[in-house]
Amino acid sequence: MSSAVIDARYLAPPEPMERVLEALPHLERGQSLTLLLHREPFPLYTLLTAREFAWVTTLGEDGTYRIVISHRP
Amino acid sequence: MSAALSFEQAPPLSVPFRFFLTAPLFGIAAGVLFALEGDAVLESRWSLQAFAVVHLLTVGFMLQVMVGALLQFLPVAAGANVWRPRLLANLVHPALTLGAVALVAGFLGAGAWTMQVAAVLLGAGVLLFGAAASVGLWRSPAIGPTLRVLQLAVAGLLVATGLGVTLASGFGWRLAVPFVLLQQLHLAWGLLGWALMLVVGVAYLVVPMFQLTPPYALRPSRALPAALLASLSCWTLGALADVAWLAWWATVLGAAGTVGFAAYTLRLQARRKRKVTDTTLRAWRVGMACLLLAVPVSVLARLGWPASLLPRVEYLLGVTVLAGAFPAVIAGMLYKIVPFIEWMHLQRVMTLPPTMQKVIPDARARWQWRLFVASLVLLAGAAAWAPLAVPGGLLFAAACALLEWHLLRAVQLYRSLTPR
Repeated sequence: MSSAVIDARYLAPPEPMERVLEALPHLERGQSLTLLLHREPFPLYTLLTAREFAWVTTLGEDGTYRIVISHRP
Repeated sequence: MSAALSFEQAPPLSVPFRFFLTAPLFGIAAGVLFALEGDAVLESRWSLQAFAVVHLLTVGFMLQVMVGALLQFLPVAAGANVWRPRLLANLVHPALTLGAVALVAGFLGAGAWTMQVAAVLLGAGVLLFGAAASVGLWRSPAIGPTLRVLQLAVAGLLVATGLGVTLASGFGWRLAVPFVLLQQLHLAWGLLGWALMLVVGVAYLVVPMFQLTPPYALRPSRALPAALLASLSCWTLGALADVAWLAWWATVLGAAGTVGFAAYTLRLQARRKRKVTDTTLRAWRVGMACLLLAVPVSVLARLGWPASLLPRVEYLLGVTVLAGAFPAVIAGMLYKIVPFIEWMHLQRVMTLPPTMQKVIPDARARWQWRLFVASLVLLAGAAAWAPLAVPGGLLFAAACALLEWHLLRAVQLYRSLTPR
C-alpha cells in the first residue's frame, strides 16, 4: 500500500485539517495518507467518518500522533 | 477550503461564552474586596474576609472559566461528547454564579441561610457538570495522556466540591464538622487535584497547538499527573491518620510535579517554532514562573518558618497561586480561545471571516497583561508593606475589567457579523 505523508506537527490550526481535506479527493483505493500531528484530531475524525474513510491512530514516545487514513473497505 | 471545515462536536458559542463573560466580574469583586479588606486578609488566611476573597477568585473566577472551557474543550480535544451542552450550561451556569455569590455573602456575614443556598447550588451545579463530563470522558476513544489527566481533574473537582459543600453545610446548618481537617483537604484537592491537574491536561493540547512547540513526551506527561495524584493521596492519608511524614511526602511529590510541569512547559516554549511572543505566551510564562515561585514559598509555609511572619508567607503563597499562576494562564488562554472559537463559528456562516488577530488584536490584549503584572507585583509587595494592598487590589480589579471589556467587544463583533 503506497502512502503519502502530511507532517502537520508545526502547523497552526486549521492548516493541518485543510491540508488533509485537500489531499483526500486524490487518495485512491489501496493508498493511504499519513498525518503527523501533536494532538489527536477529533474534528477531523468526524469529517473522515462522513466521507467514508477509515483511520488508525497510534501515539509515539515523543508525543507525535500518527493517523493513517484510507478508504473504508 | 475553510468553508468546508466542520466542527460538529463543538457546542453553540453561547455555551462557553456565558461562563467566560461572567468570570471577570468575580475577579473585579475580588480585587475591590481585597483593596477594602486587605488588612484582615494579610493578618490571617483563616479570616472570613480572606475566605471571601479566595472564593471570589476560585469559585467565582477560576471555576467559571474552567467549566466553560471544558464544555468547549472536551468534544474537540478529547473526543468526549457532553450530553446536551446548551441545557447543561443553562442549569450549571446560574447554579455556579448564584452559588458563588451566596458563598461570598455568607463569608461576609449575610447569614447562615446564604451558606445553605451556596452549599445546595454549588453542590448541584458541580455534580451535574461533573457527571456529564465524566460520562463523556468515560466514553471517549482518545488514546493520549490528556484523557486520563482530564478524568483525574474532574474527579478532583468532585472531591474538592464535596469537601467544600460539607464545610459550607457546617457553617450553614451549624453542624459539628472537623473544619481544619476538611479545609486542608478541600484546599489540596481544589488546587492540585482540580485546578493544576486541569491546567496540565489542557497544556498538553494547547501549548504545542497554539505556540507550535514540540509536544510533551509520553513518559513525563504520564509521570506529572501521577506525581500530583500520589501527592494528594499522601496528603489525604496523612491528614486523616495524622501522620506527619506522609504530609511531607505529599509536599515533596506535589513540589516535584509542579516544578516538573512548569519547567518542562517553559522549556518547550523556548523551543517553539512560531517565534512570535504574544500575550498568551507571556501570560503562560508568568503563570509558570508563579508556579515555580509557589513551591519554595509553600515549603516555608509548611515549615511554619519564620513563625512570626507565617501569615505573610501564607498570603504570599495565595498571591502566587490564586492571583498569579491560575489567573495568568486563564487570561492568556481566553485571549487565544475566544478568537479561535469565534472564528470557528464565523467560518460556518461567511466565506471570509475576520482572522483571529482581528477579533482581539494582541496590542489590545497586551494592555490587560501589563495591568495584570503590575497588580501582581503590588499584591506580592503587600506581603512586605501592607498599604500596597489597596493599589494592588484595585489594579487587579482594573485588569479583570479590561478583560471583560475585551471579551464583550469580541462578542459584539460576532453579533455584528452573524444574521439574527
